[in-house]
Amino acid sequence: MNRSLQSLAWLLVFAALAMLPQVLTVKYYLHLSILALIWVIMAQGQNLIQGYTGYVSIVGAGFMGIGAYSSTLIGMHFQWPIWATMAAAPLVTALFALATGYPSLRVKGHYFAIVTLAFNLIIVIVLVNYKELTNGETGISNIPKPWGGSRDAYFYLVLMLAAAMTALAALIARSRVGEILLAIRQNEDLVGSIGIAAWKYKLFAFVISAMYAGLAGALYAHFQSFINPEIFGVAQSLDAILAVILGGSGTIAGPVIGAFLVVFLPEMLRFADSFRLILYGLILVLATIFMPIGIVGVCKALIGRFSRKEAAS
Amino acid sequence: MLIEILQQTINGLAIGGVYVLIALGLTTVFGILGIAHFAHGSISMFGGYLTFFLVTSQGLPVLAAIPVALATGILLGLLVEMLAYRPVRHANHINAFIVALGLTMMVEGINLQLFGHEQVVIPTGLSRVFRFGGITVPELRLYVIIAAIVLVVAMMVFVERTKTGQAIRAVAENRDAAILMGVNVKSIPLIVFGISTALGVAAGIMVGALFAIAPGIGEGFVVKGFAVLILGGLGSFPGAILGGTVLGITESIAAGFISSAYKDVIAFVVMILVLLIRPQGLLGRTP
Repeated sequence: MNRSLQSLAWLLVFAALAMLPQVLTVKYYLHLSILALIWVIMAQGQNLIQGYTGYVSIVGAGFMGIGAYSSTLIGMHFQWPIWATMAAAPLVTALFALATGYPSLRVKGHYFAIVTLAFNLIIVIVLVNYKELTNGETGISNIPKPWGGSRDAYFYLVLMLAAAMTALAALIARSRVGEILLAIRQNEDLVGSIGIAAWKYKLFAFVISAMYAGLAGALYAHFQSFINPEIFGVAQSLDAILAVILGGSGTIAGPVIGAFLVVFLPEMLRFADSFRLILYGLILVLATIFMPIGIVGVCKALIGRFSRKEAAS
Repeated sequence: MLIEILQQTINGLAIGGVYVLIALGLTTVFGILGIAHFAHGSISMFGGYLTFFLVTSQGLPVLAAIPVALATGILLGLLVEMLAYRPVRHANHINAFIVALGLTMMVEGINLQLFGHEQVVIPTGLSRVFRFGGITVPELRLYVIIAAIVLVVAMMVFVERTKTGQAIRAVAENRDAAILMGVNVKSIPLIVFGISTALGVAAGIMVGALFAIAPGIGEGFVVKGFAVLILGGLGSFPGAILGGTVLGITESIAAGFISSAYKDVIAFVVMILVLLIRPQGLLGRTP
């Protein structure tokens, strides 16, 4: 597909999504759509580190939690307006990501994944035990909603932000930085050998992906108006990984599709929690074995084959 | 004070033994197949759950339930290797790790489905307490420590002294050379998964008897297991043994003297400090 056709497709998707509040009569689906759009932001961030750089981070939900709690707590204690706390949340998350990214990026591959997972566990343990600040497992409720809780207005806010974050991810991916990230995924030693300090770029990708998660967390908190530590556990980090793999890692459209799938799939299937886990796990295993390029990858391959046939005839 | 420290050290030895068993299973799989077998913790806890089920619902004595759980666990380990890891053997290592994450979710889900949300404790009936000076050692804890030592020694003897063990080490060292020397590399992954799962299930049973098994516990243990590997040095057997023991004792002393709510955080902080100061681990070779 050439560039203009691609932009047209994106515009159509955006327009279709923008019409959702008018089209959806069941308000619950609008609720899910907002969650899915928040997850688009989350998955775009995850894709930068996992899909482009090839480092599977399992601390996504933990950073989402840091964003959610910092936006909520700053608002509670300093009476900042919601906009200011939402803007501050990614910055706070970035600080945490700098501190955790530096040691964890010293190890590669699996060990990076394990260390980031340990960070996710630490974040949850602190959220549960630092009761004076976080109210422990009970969580914090009555988090203020903007516009008196208007769902439609919030939908458009999240849609705009998801679109902006997707565009930003595309910009990063197409830039020189994005090329270096891809090169790191393919052969990190080679990147080092031509005099590029790979660790700076990895840290950049890690911190940016954390900021995405922090923003997603803040949006989540002010939408649901309730947060507790459980929401930001390892299981949700795995959901983010699943979203990227299913949609297509290292593509811009992949995380969008993946995010909608991980939010809507369990609602459609309405299984008990244990079945959801088994099914998600099975999908993750099967997708990795049989479809490692994700839905977008498969579509691209199909379109490629189709257009080649057309060119031949 | 000294008595207290000694007491916590004994307590730490029991949990340390569990860490060592889990870490040995992880390190063999990682060293030989290059797979970060993340589902190891959940499969181990499956073994613990199964023992609990056999003892409480089927009325089996504990000593009869353990072999059944071990055998079932080994079978599960072999299935995992053949059905899930083998297809991604030649793909990017990250794919194998994502498969491992998927497997973890599946096994956790199966555990929930079969054994429920409640936390379970395997009833052993071992409630005597030995006293040495001022230190009290519950009977069960002592047996766990002894069992862990026996399993570790058996594992070492197997790897160092038997033909199969030599073959496994040869494959870990240099796969191609091992093939040239006539080692059947096809069967090695199965043997490795069998052994590692058996050690894991043993650890799961110990956790179930000493503490309790509950949903999510397995993930915690597998992360601790990897922390042990980082602590001791990747792919090093003595490192795994030292790392597990050190982690168990540190955690226990930290829980006794600092805060039990944050004892897991302390374990991870130790791991991160090691990464920063000595990335090759305590006993790892300098790269």
